Amino acid sequence: MRGQDAFKLVWSSVAHSLSKSLLTALGIAIGITAVTLLTAIGGGIEQYVLNQFSQFGTRIIAVHPGKNVTHGVGGLLSTVRPLSIADADSLRALSGVEQVVGVVQGTGTIEAAQRQRTSDILGVGAQMPEAWRFKLSLGQFLPDDESGRSRPYAVLGYTLRQELFGNQNPLGEFIRVGGLRFRVIGVIEQKGQMLGFDMDDIVYIPVDQALQMFNREGLMEIDVTFSETSSSAAVAQAITRQLTERHGDEDFTLTTQDEMLDTLSNVLSVLTAGVAALGAISLVVGAVGIATILTTTVRERTGEIGLLRALGSSQGQVLGLFLGEAVVIALLGGLMGIVLLGIILVGFSLVVPNLPFLISPMYLIIALLVAATIGLLAGVIPARSAARLNPVDALRAE
Amino acid sequence: MRALDLFNFNLQVIYRQPMRSAMLLVAIAIGVIAINLLTGLGEGGKRYVLGEFDFLGKNVLIILPGKKETTGGMPPVTGETPRDLTLQDAAALKRLPMVSDVAPLIAGKAQVSRDASNREAFTVGTNRAFFRVRQLHIASGKALPSLPLDQAEAVCILGPTLRRELFGTQPALGEWVRAGDRRFRVIGILQPEGQGLGFDMNEVMIIPVASAQALFNQQGLFRIFVELRSLDNLAGSRAMLTNLLRERHGGEEDVTLITQDSLISAFAGILDVMTLAVAGIAAISMLVAGILIMNVTLITVSQRTEEIGLLKALGAPESTVRLIFLAEAGMMASCGAVFGLVISNILLFVARTVYPAIAFTTPAWAQIGSLLLALLTALLFALLPAQKAARLAPLEALQNKRAA
Repeated sequence: MRGQDAFKLVWSSVAHSLSKSLLTALGIAIGITAVTLLTAIGGGIEQYVLNQFSQFGTRIIAVHPGKNVTHGVGGLLSTVRPLSIADADSLRALSGVEQVVGVVQGTGTIEAAQRQRTSDILGVGAQMPEAWRFKLSLGQFLPDDESGRSRPYAVLGYTLRQELFGNQNPLGEFIRVGGLRFRVIGVIEQKGQMLGFDMDDIVYIPVDQALQMFNREGLMEIDVTFSETSSSAAVAQAITRQLTERHGDEDFTLTTQDEMLDTLSNVLSVLTAGVAALGAISLVVGAVGIATILTTTVRERTGEIGLLRALGSSQGQVLGLFLGEAVVIALLGGLMGIVLLGIILVGFSLVVPNLPFLISPMYLIIALLVAATIGLLAGVIPARSAARLNPVDALRAE
Repeated sequence: MRALDLFNFNLQVIYRQPMRSAMLLVAIAIGVIAINLLTGLGEGGKRYVLGEFDFLGKNVLIILPGKKETTGGMPPVTGETPRDLTLQDAAALKRLPMVSDVAPLIAGKAQVSRDASNREAFTVGTNRAFFRVRQLHIASGKALPSLPLDQAEAVCILGPTLRRELFGTQPALGEWVRAGDRRFRVIGILQPEGQGLGFDMNEVMIIPVASAQALFNQQGLFRIFVELRSLDNLAGSRAMLTNLLRERHGGEEDVTLITQDSLISAFAGILDVMTLAVAGIAAISMLVAGILIMNVTLITVSQRTEEIGLLKALGAPESTVRLIFLAEAGMMASCGAVFGLVISNILLFVARTVYPAIAFTTPAWAQIGSLLLALLTALLFALLPAQKAARLAPLEALQNKRAA
């Protein structure tokens, strides 16, 4: 049998009962749509979260006090071995290190002439804007004063500026933060939310003033950025050596940004795969559908099969014909699924434009391959039963 | 047609096509199993997680230093404020009439050592009331003594893991351990328990709150747990606590009050949504099964055209013919669903046997819901083909074998 003839036979069989074939294909289509849509959403969320984290740059190493931060609260708790501002300063001299920022976070009242607001207070080093890639919309950031003698200057986040000063110029005005007087010298551009944390409702003050205000000995975190030419492993090692020397013991924990992003990306990929696997349950049901319908087809066409066999077709050829039919139906389903996906995505982007979807041509090719494989697997049992029919009995069945 | 006749009639049809019927059954069962299994896993997970978090009594309020104007976001977890929450605040709270007990808390990390073995441990400074409020149980020895809040004493209670790390198999009670630059005598060991709210109580060292203030060189408290005498008028009690602290803090409201219930309900909400989402994704497979039912019923109708013609010629009304096909789909769906329910319950039973700690059970609404969903899907998707069969003209149907 020539390939062309075989294809014609398969196609005529599919087209003969078109509504039946299309309904079967629709089952596969729904499964393919579910899987690709869920993967696209998962991929989109993964990219969104990674972007959120890497907006601070990827060449950052965070140092927290305490040896294990398995619970993620290490920096918040008290410790007998605090990380001091002097520790932070000592890291500046290390080779490869670009910026060092000590961080203390708390809450308190911020009062301007007319209004007041309780919000986050962030004590940071002068190099914060470069290290975290923050830009100022007005004025300048905190000056690099000698530790312990920094001048009482403050920089406002976008929301806080709006709340306290409205559209007036806040530069040069005095505010009270936690009861102490600060002069506003800058405003940070709008940063938006990050994972539920409003990054605009913050006042930035010098880190030594914050330690004093909160009556605290140690920093909650030291962020170290390093140059492009050095590796995170080398810098992490240098930091560890330096701090161990100063403390006499390794009583701190390093987290490198690239490691964290890797872990995060892994976790999110696994989640996406899991959700997509749930969607694949529909594909299994769709496969059962193909098998069921093909079984009926084999029954209906027993006579035809008998004729083919009587005319000299081999078992393999009959097997191939029915497998071909299963694959064609499944591929049809795959194509329908992709069209359905396209319609849904367009619909979504019209209603909610900013949903993070990530879709690549790769997905679509994989979706089609998966559909074809499913068709092949689902077709095996009915096709084998067709191929094994006894030609004489089959002919008589007509 | 009597119900029993209908049943027997359809049973014959189902038997006549064993392979096809079995596959339809499998398709529906897969959908039902997926829904039940996933809600079961979700529910079990939720109960386990909530159980882990549920270690405070219902009448316990948690006071955090710090407050934020914007509510709904993160509470001020770092708890750093210009004005500390002090032991005097705790003592004043205790004097309120509706407060039955108060447990102040300082949490920190300290290098705890004994001879050569040492370990970085969570160190909690608190008082005797904490053990009851936090529902901690002593395995051996005793809890912290009842001391005035501002009195330090060099005693400690160790979590079981920490005890094992420091002492191995040797007796620990009465021995001294060193934390930072201070020494503490071990007077009690905690019973093992799970983790909760980020603190692993198996690795904790508990010391009097005044000792912790000295150890960490810190006056301010990290949290205060307030136990109320009753839950009546919770809002009023909250207001009184807040007022008292505002007065003590120079008219400024710089604390946040939370209840464990509010934390748990927020958390339970998230977990419920996740379970529903997962079950919803599983339910897509039911849609696919529905399409399969429609397809098969269409085929059946076309195969049984003559039969339908005969029925109608004998005087069966449209409704009877429709009923026959709907009943067939319904029977298949119910069998498949029950089959699926049985299998998913067996699988969950196995899961419970393997992980006894987690109560994997599908809630009744999901079981009944998936059954009804299967039935509804079957009837809905069979309706179109059944309608088609019912509308066939008797004569044509009798003559034309391939009408459909």
